[in-house]
Amino acid sequence: MIVVAIDIGGTFTDLIGFDDRAKRFVEAKSLTTPAHLVQGIIDCIRKSGLEAGAIDELIHGSTIAINTLIERKGAKTGLIVTKGTRDVYAIGRGNRPEAYNLLFKRHQPLVPRHLTIEVDERMLASGEVHRKLQTNDVEAACRALKAEGVEAVAVCFLHSYVNPGHEREAGAVIAKGMPDAYLSLSHDILREYREFERTSTTVVNAYIGPKVGGYVKSLHANLGEVGFRGDLSIMRSNGGVMTPEVAQERPAAMMESGPVGGIIASARVGMALGLPNVISFDMGGTTAKASLIRDGEPTMAPGYYVGGYASGHPVMVPMIDVVEVGAGGGSIAWLDDIGALKVGPQSAGADPGPICYRGGGLEPTITDANVVLGRLDPDNFLGGQMKLDAGGAAKGIKDKIADPLGMTTIEAAQAIVEIGINKMSLAVREVSVEKGYDPRDFALVASGGAGPLHVLAIARELHIPKVIVPLFPSHFSALGMLLADERHDFIRTSYADLASVDFKNLVAVHEEMASEAMGGVRHNKGAELQVHLDLRYVGQEFTLQVPVTLAQLKKGDRHAIRKQFDKLYEHRYAHHSPDEAVEMVNIRLAVVGKRPRLKFPGLKAAVKAKPVRTRKVYLGAAGKAVTCPVFKRPSLGAGVKIVGPALIEEHGTTTVLYQGDVCRVAPSGELIIAVRGAK
Amino acid sequence: MKKPVKKLDAVTLEVIRNALPAVANEMAADLQRTSYNMMIYEVRDFCTALIDPNGELISQNVGGVSHFVADLGVIIIDGMRRYGPKGFKPGDVLITNHQAVAGQHLNNVVIYMPYFYKGELLMFTMVRAHWIDIGGTSTGFGAGPQVADPWFEGLQLDQLKIYEAGELNETLYRVIKDNIRFPESSLGDMKSQMAACRLAARRMDELFDKYGRDTILSAVNTIFGETERKCRNVVQALPDGIYEASASIDDDGVRKGEPVPIHVKVTIKGSGMTIDLSGCSLERKAGINSRTLAGARVAYKALTGPLDPVNEGSFRALDVIIPEGNIMMARFPAPMAGWSAIVPTVVDTIVAALAKAMPDRVPAGHHGLLGGAVVFFGLHPKTNKRFVVQSLEGGGWGGRPYEDGESGTVSVCQGDVRNGSIEGIELKCPVLVESRGFRQDSCGAGKYRGGLGIDMQVRNLVEGHWNFEQTRRTICPPWGLWDGTPGESGGYLLKLPNESEFRLTGGNRLPVPVGAQAIVRTGGGGGWGNPLEREPERVRHDVREELISREAAERLYGVVLDADLTLNAAATTRLREDIQSKRKAGHNESKDH
Repeated sequence: MIVVAIDIGGTFTDLIGFDDRAKRFVEAKSLTTPAHLVQGIIDCIRKSGLEAGAIDELIHGSTIAINTLIERKGAKTGLIVTKGTRDVYAIGRGNRPEAYNLLFKRHQPLVPRHLTIEVDERMLASGEVHRKLQTNDVEAACRALKAEGVEAVAVCFLHSYVNPGHEREAGAVIAKGMPDAYLSLSHDILREYREFERTSTTVVNAYIGPKVGGYVKSLHANLGEVGFRGDLSIMRSNGGVMTPEVAQERPAAMMESGPVGGIIASARVGMALGLPNVISFDMGGTTAKASLIRDGEPTMAPGYYVGGYASGHPVMVPMIDVVEVGAGGGSIAWLDDIGALKVGPQSAGADPGPICYRGGGLEPTITDANVVLGRLDPDNFLGGQMKLDAGGAAKGIKDKIADPLGMTTIEAAQAIVEIGINKMSLAVREVSVEKGYDPRDFALVASGGAGPLHVLAIARELHIPKVIVPLFPSHFSALGMLLADERHDFIRTSYADLASVDFKNLVAVHEEMASEAMGGVRHNKGAELQVHLDLRYVGQEFTLQVPVTLAQLKKGDRHAIRKQFDKLYEHRYAHHSPDEAVEMVNIRLAVVGKRPRLKFPGLKAAVKAKPVRTRKVYLGAAGKAVTCPVFKRPSLGAGVKIVGPALIEEHGTTTVLYQGDVCRVAPSGELIIAVRGAK
Repeated sequence: MKKPVKKLDAVTLEVIRNALPAVANEMAADLQRTSYNMMIYEVRDFCTALIDPNGELISQNVGGVSHFVADLGVIIIDGMRRYGPKGFKPGDVLITNHQAVAGQHLNNVVIYMPYFYKGELLMFTMVRAHWIDIGGTSTGFGAGPQVADPWFEGLQLDQLKIYEAGELNETLYRVIKDNIRFPESSLGDMKSQMAACRLAARRMDELFDKYGRDTILSAVNTIFGETERKCRNVVQALPDGIYEASASIDDDGVRKGEPVPIHVKVTIKGSGMTIDLSGCSLERKAGINSRTLAGARVAYKALTGPLDPVNEGSFRALDVIIPEGNIMMARFPAPMAGWSAIVPTVVDTIVAALAKAMPDRVPAGHHGLLGGAVVFFGLHPKTNKRFVVQSLEGGGWGGRPYEDGESGTVSVCQGDVRNGSIEGIELKCPVLVESRGFRQDSCGAGKYRGGLGIDMQVRNLVEGHWNFEQTRRTICPPWGLWDGTPGESGGYLLKLPNESEFRLTGGNRLPVPVGAQAIVRTGGGGGWGNPLEREPERVRHDVREELISREAAERLYGVVLDADLTLNAAATTRLREDIQSKRKAGHNESKDH
């Protein structure tokens, strides 16, 4: 079987394929061409030397969904809402997260007011019909939107999460009245209460729908033309994959389809090595991302704000919880108006890039600092394909940072890297310590071009004892896509005191969601169902997702569920209230269709590794260079042991081992590093 | 405590600079997620802070209610005076809301704990949070202005140790429990407040273990100094001078029809700024008094470094003058139940005074109130349980030097304060929200217009009581700037089942029968710049969006649209010239007199 993953990032399109019989990996990389994404994919396949007809399954992740939204290049969209709620989408929650900013910005609605149309209908919170839907209102709305040239329609009625009857009815009218329009009904996208967040999510889905849906469709067709007959799967933000048909209906689920690949890969690598608890750490050019994996399962968030909390669009589609900080290789070092040294969040990106890239960049970056410190070899970057300008990097750091601060260039470079490391450590802390997890119980899996360069310093800062540098660290997202299962998340608001929950009804809701879910799952044999209840103490607003079993629901085991909630609460917040009443807000179901596991080949055993050369590298804060042996990763066999200080170079990245760090190469190829001094 | 002076390297300093606000923000996140009342989790009516034993602010959370800025120091100074530096033990938990020092309504209950490192008292971890009830007349957002004194308002707690060396004071606990209406909620919140304080202590232990006492304390001092310098740099760039502005609130809620004057005088000299509020009203016999520097500090913060974390250095270059007996420096037992009602208007007046000094950064006036407060409560006949509908509706903000003001957003004293979702309200309470929408033409006109106010219309499905009491700004509506016109002010309207039209209303605990409808109305923002200079295309856009009426387009902006909404350029030019010359004539006429 040949499985191929293609990940379109901002700069590069990465391909990783695996041939199950030949036990062979295939890699290819090409520049992303935003105007011709589909052609880029076809080219990448050609470049890899694979026959499209021989590929059994192709998994694809892409930034097209998020870019369409952020660049506001989506469809002309109309919105149909309950009478009285025309401005709910624009008003949002009325908040100003930047409390002292007089010139704050709110989210900018994707639908103008004149394309937002009210219709006469009303449900109650109980699901009872208060006013029947006037279908002629919907017909009139269709005529008006059609006349305006609207290409996509979102519908969000109050309380449709409990009774979607009116939305379905309106949907049928719209499908007839505007057969060419892309249609999203809010209950199909998100069956949870809170009308603003549901409206925003539905509008985003409709807004990006025609473009992203069209892209998926055309990708499928174009692959067919070059002979591909296998299954196409699309990566989604929840870390699973979906069929192209589901993707066309729910493009909002693709929003973070790129970055989550690396997190899935971290989880799988950890499980394969017998380490179910890992923290995924990915550092690229502009940001670093951390995500926590427990018992082999990534942590889920109920959604996020695309463009940031202060003025972004809420998209409440379950996704893997990621903390992102503005510290990447391209992050710029600068002095603020009182002369304090700052790193990021501005990034030189790929263009102009760090000074050492010779692309016209003038501002010193983390990458420049690494070159100055000898951690990156200017002659062996990307396998020597790109010669770095070490002199330029040093001059930039000297002029912009070292001289104004009265430091040496080396000290300044060290300070830049350390501040970057501190920022990234805060992100790793945020996913662990701040959620009640002790990072010492986790291994840190490093990926991204800049991850292995900094990971040991971060591990030491947080007392994490073990670091893993996986295979293909700079194609890690694509690797994760090869390994991802199918996953569909469903949610229903179901509001009741835990003491009086009607479990029979809850089981019925579960059945309904499960049967809907199974319809969209390709690998439905042995599919796994995960159920969570969103619970809280009566009077609270925020909930905890408490894992429960179907058996518990069927038995109506309030007591066990209650105990689980208290336990989770204690773990998360360090106190709990066993005497307080608990209420249920939502039931969630995740359906995981297991894809066949791939068996990757191992490495040949070797006894000793030979360094290819040595280099002077500044590692400690002492400002003294040490002589480091440099190893080539492809030459390392299984079982090899390397004691730091040392550099291990490979095509897209370099692993930096500090004094006393001990690296062993696993039979499956990963570098497993015991961090010196960790407790 | 001896203050070490240590020269720190750039990295250590930067790391500690990032770590201290992170602690306060983590406390805030923890509190918000575990709290039991919407005043905390939606209105974010709380603050979390680390304060040193001199009362200096080491760090504070950012994002919630802004008028809590740097206001916990006075409580520590008072606590240190009462108990003495040796009077605190590990495991102590103090509770206080007493107005003689805290200066706010009694709902704002402060919980704090001494923080010791290696046996030395180095700081206090503190959380102030709005309890849903503190007895008396305090339920919900707090008691109204008619409350004559603090005894009537609720339970007063004056720097008491509810835990002493880890031991609960059962008597005090029971006194509190028996004298508040929702003990499960408020005492749950107290638990969350304590948990947040303990969390901060754990985080500080980690930091002190890592960097050591002297390094951390030196860093704190350095950060204060640097923050001060940053603020001074901003003020230094402004022209020296005395800047003044005035505004008013319709009345204090007790003496109807008698406006409450607000006058501010800002002096800029070099890098220093003095904000003098002596010209504001004397303290009133109504619950709108306070003891707070918040008005001046929120304005100063917004103008000098809105996005930076807050610490003691943020206000060192600011002098605030408020004489004793002023409405914002009221003497105990002046009533303070509605302590923050006038603060947004005070902040906005200070900002307005500085429009001439910083013309490119000052917007026109905003709605200036703490919200269209939606408060309806009663007993649910089916469940026999008490319910309270609570939401804060935002209003319009003023036009800005380069763009329109935002619509439907909370005041300058409220940050990440969220309205109640319609579905969430209806899930919990027996009401029907009939509409929540922008109010056409509520915005002030300008080259850049103000944002729009909101109408929120609610029908009650069971009988109950409405609170229709809030500060009003009809005499002094949200002002325009540089020839912009004012926005419309807000208010309350009511229609009983037997009535055919809504009528303006007011008052607290107003009983209504089933099926009454209320409209909570918020004001719009003022316009910035001459409306006749607004690009006609923008005016056309606003008419098409139905944000302003055709009539307003002509009358205020001189823009004429044809029936199909295309711009009639010729008629527009004529009309604009016409309005311009009439205005000039009017202007000259008034000069002649």
